[in-house]
Formats: sequence, C-alpha cells, structure tokens
Amino acid sequence: MSASPISNHIRRLRFEHREMTQQALAERIGVTRQTVNAIELGKYSPSLEVAFRIAAVFAQPLEAVFQFREPVSPRRRA
Amino acid sequence: MSFREKSAWINFVLLLAFAIYFGNVALHMLDPTRPHANYLQLFVLLVVAIVVLEIITHAVIALRSPREARTPIDERERLIELRSTRPAFYVLLVGAFLSVGTIHIGASTWLLAHCVLFAIWAAELTRYGSQLYHYRRGA
Repeated sequence: MSASPISNHIRRLRFEHREMTQQALAERIGVTRQTVNAIELGKYSPSLEVAFRIAAVFAQPLEAVFQFREPVSPRRRA
Repeated sequence: MSFREKSAWINFVLLLAFAIYFGNVALHMLDPTRPHANYLQLFVLLVVAIVVLEIITHAVIALRSPREARTPIDERERLIELRSTRPAFYVLLVGAFLSVGTIHIGASTWLLAHCVLFAIWAAELTRYGSQLYHYRRGA
C-alpha cells in the first residue's frame, strides 16, 4: 500500500486545543473515533466536507490542517 | 474496535456456522449411501440459532458502548461497506455461473439449489471478511 499524499496536523492541533480527545473531535465533526484516528495516521483521506469541519473546529484554514504532497513517481525520481 | 467492526466480526463468525450445513451436504454428495440429516430441519435450526445469537450479541455490544451504537454510519464505514461489496459480488457472480453450469452436467435441482445457496454464503463471508480486512487496515 502506498502512503497517502495527504498529511495533517490534527494531532498537534488537538493538543493545542486543551488536549482535545479524538472522541471529542469525532463528536464535533460527526464521525467515529476510529475514523479520526485513521485520518490522523494518514490511513484514510477524509471527504472535503469532513476536512472543512475539522478545520472549522480548530478555527484554522484548511491548508493549515491538511497538506498535499505530490507523490514522486519512480520514473521522475530516476 | 468500533461498534461496526465488532458487528462485522459477529456476522462473520456466526455465518461460519453454516459450514455445518454445507459439510453435511458435501458428505452426502461424496457418499450418497451415508445416512444424512434432515436438511430442511438443519437449515431452519441454523437460521433460527444465528438470528437469536445475532440479536443477543448485538444487544450486548450495544449495551457495552451505547454512544457508539447510536452514532450513525460515517463516511469511512460507508466506504468500507462499499469496497467490501465489490469482491462479494464477483464471488456471487462466479458462483451463480458455476451453479448454472451444473445443469449441463446433469445435476439435480437439489444440487443446483445448494450450489446457489453456497455461492450466497461464500459471497456473504467474502463481504464480511473484506470489511474486517479494511477495518483492520484503517480504511
């Protein structure tokens, strides 16, 4: 499985917001705690709607929460 | 482990109980002289037992985590369900074609019916197995 090209700062942002738990964040954005965990670990890329909801919880622009890095193809690397 | 992952585990494990039924059918096919169980009785017994156990086990996991049980299915869980339906569909498709194929080798309607039933069972096991794989992987 290739790594997701989308990374995020949710863990840090949770910590900065009075150590918000994954459960608390999950309840505010309407998903399960396991989904928040999967997003944090980069195992699941959320929909645009959930991404905006997460950004809204932390009062941050989307790009401050999520970053997209173009995956380097083997041909380009060579 | 989320409520829906636990539910998928329960469904997968309880469905495995049908191996008793198909095991009986297979043994009878291999040796028709062998005394066999009353298939209808065994089938109904298994269905009733599975339904009762489904209700009990789901009630138990819902009581243990009521908040999670009340949470509506989210987008990742919906995606997992959709992804799992695909391989199950192929299993059902191949099973259905092979079942129809048994007619051409002179199989009885009894065998045809059991082949179709087996294909449905295999497809359901694939669906829940695939769900468990995706839940374990994260998405």
